[in-house]
Amino acid sequence: MPTCETVRDAIYKATMLLDDQKWNDWLSLCDDEFEYSITSWSPEINYNMTYLEAHKEDLRHLIDLLPKHNTDHSPLHRHTTVYSISPSEDGKTATAISSVIIYQNMLDGAHSHIDAGESRLFVIGRYFDTLKIEDGKVSFLKRELKLDNRRLDKGSHWPL
Amino acid sequence: MAARTHDQWTSQPPLKQGEWIDSRVYTDDKIFEEELEKIFKSAWVPVCHESELPKAYDFRTMTIAREPIIVCRGPDNQVRAFLNVCPHRGMMIERRPSGSFFEGQPSGNPKRMTCMFHAWQFDMKGSCVYVSREKEGYQDRLGKDDVGLRRLRCEVKFGGFIWVNLNDKAPDLESWAGKPFECLRKSLDAEPLEVFHYHKAIINTNYKLWHDTNCEFYHDFMHYHNRVTGFNESYFARKNEAFDNGHIVVGTYEVDYDKYEGFESRAALSFPHLPPNQWYMIDLFPGINFNLRGSALRCDVVTPLGPNKTMIEFRGLGLKSDSKADRMTRINHHNSIWGPFGRNLHEDLIGVQGQGNTMLPGTEPRRVLHGRQENQTIHDENGMRHYYAEWGKWLNRLPSSPDKPYSAPASVTAAE
Repeated sequence: MPTCETVRDAIYKATMLLDDQKWNDWLSLCDDEFEYSITSWSPEINYNMTYLEAHKEDLRHLIDLLPKHNTDHSPLHRHTTVYSISPSEDGKTATAISSVIIYQNMLDGAHSHIDAGESRLFVIGRYFDTLKIEDGKVSFLKRELKLDNRRLDKGSHWPL
Repeated sequence: MAARTHDQWTSQPPLKQGEWIDSRVYTDDKIFEEELEKIFKSAWVPVCHESELPKAYDFRTMTIAREPIIVCRGPDNQVRAFLNVCPHRGMMIERRPSGSFFEGQPSGNPKRMTCMFHAWQFDMKGSCVYVSREKEGYQDRLGKDDVGLRRLRCEVKFGGFIWVNLNDKAPDLESWAGKPFECLRKSLDAEPLEVFHYHKAIINTNYKLWHDTNCEFYHDFMHYHNRVTGFNESYFARKNEAFDNGHIVVGTYEVDYDKYEGFESRAALSFPHLPPNQWYMIDLFPGINFNLRGSALRCDVVTPLGPNKTMIEFRGLGLKSDSKADRMTRINHHNSIWGPFGRNLHEDLIGVQGQGNTMLPGTEPRRVLHGRQENQTIHDENGMRHYYAEWGKWLNRLPSSPDKPYSAPASVTAAE
């Protein structure tokens, strides 16, 4: 199905742009109404938590401020596998569920003499995406990254 | 002065006793073991919040100073704490972080804590109610009355936090921390609170280095962008006030979020009795932090895992009565600065990790300076001096020379 292929390509393209830290190019894949969130279920507190919630403008602001913050520069690399794509009946939207594993290639976040060059598992979870399909073009309307992790150590300033 | 020789580097700084400490307090294995035994086994620790076990038979598990603990709510609605250890042969009774005893388990009945190993069962008061093959094995030599759980001091206080102390003879919680909580008592106790955020960090650093960061705001140079956009004279004029038992309180001021680039006012969702956009912080010895920024409360609790390894649990709280929309706003306020993907927390944790890198066990003893004197405002380091004076008393070690017994730094104490 062409729609499914287009959606899959968009998710993988987003993965590569995020890996390459091309934040604005990644945002360009997103609709003006784009909603982004990082969530996790905590059995400890028995609560569906939201770790980050942002609209497109919030993300643009976050990205603009990145150079003004002290950040762990250890690159993140996502291994994304699209599990399912469900186009809507009218063909104007689709939802997709992808498994994502994010590795951190250590640079300066811990002890660089010892740790730099090592890759560690950073987080695992699933992307729950909603995409708009218009004239054969796909844009992200919504992305929820549902993490399994509650141990997040230093966290990150970057979109995941 | 130019870069220094080894002798110069290790010489005494031109400061008074109490204004620097020896880095061995962060790196020494023996000192670490003493801290667990003498401090953490006698200090009150807020192990969780009452909203984490809202119903009868709910439980949470955790550790203090390596000792496994279980907290559960009884059918009488009372919250009690016990060692999570079966008195038979030392099995951990409950392995899950949380859950309910309302339903039965493979080895045990409903409404019982059951050790899965040999099916001994305990009620929510810690009394043993079943020993498998009791008569056959023990005849009348030992009975259920002899094998109750080890109960622990437990109080629900200061906004519904559940506090546990391993020492039966420790002072009560009010005596321990009542005075520093005066500034927030009305706000935290006006109505029930609820935890909406939990995550943990395990960082290769000493637990005191994390607490140090919470005890001074001089480190706001690390939060450079916030400092240059949002902070004003009244921010820097706040005082670190010292309390008995090594606690401190950072005084409030009205945060002007409009000038704080990327933030919004929190006035509409201020905690009860808290003037709009006020910000208080309470640091409790030996490593607990309560931080109320108008609409959201944060609580950090450290669990020391080694001289150079610390777990920090982060909780965020709002009002239990929150509407869905208000709760989401509070969560966003919380996350913008304190979330794992927010602005400040990431920087704070990189900072203490960096200190941990230079203070690995076995590294040379160095001077760590706590000597800033700025009229006890947030750029002062009086909060840390106050903390280490208390630490010295508990361990009977001089923080600047930990091989020597503690003696009070008279001049610095007078300045607090």
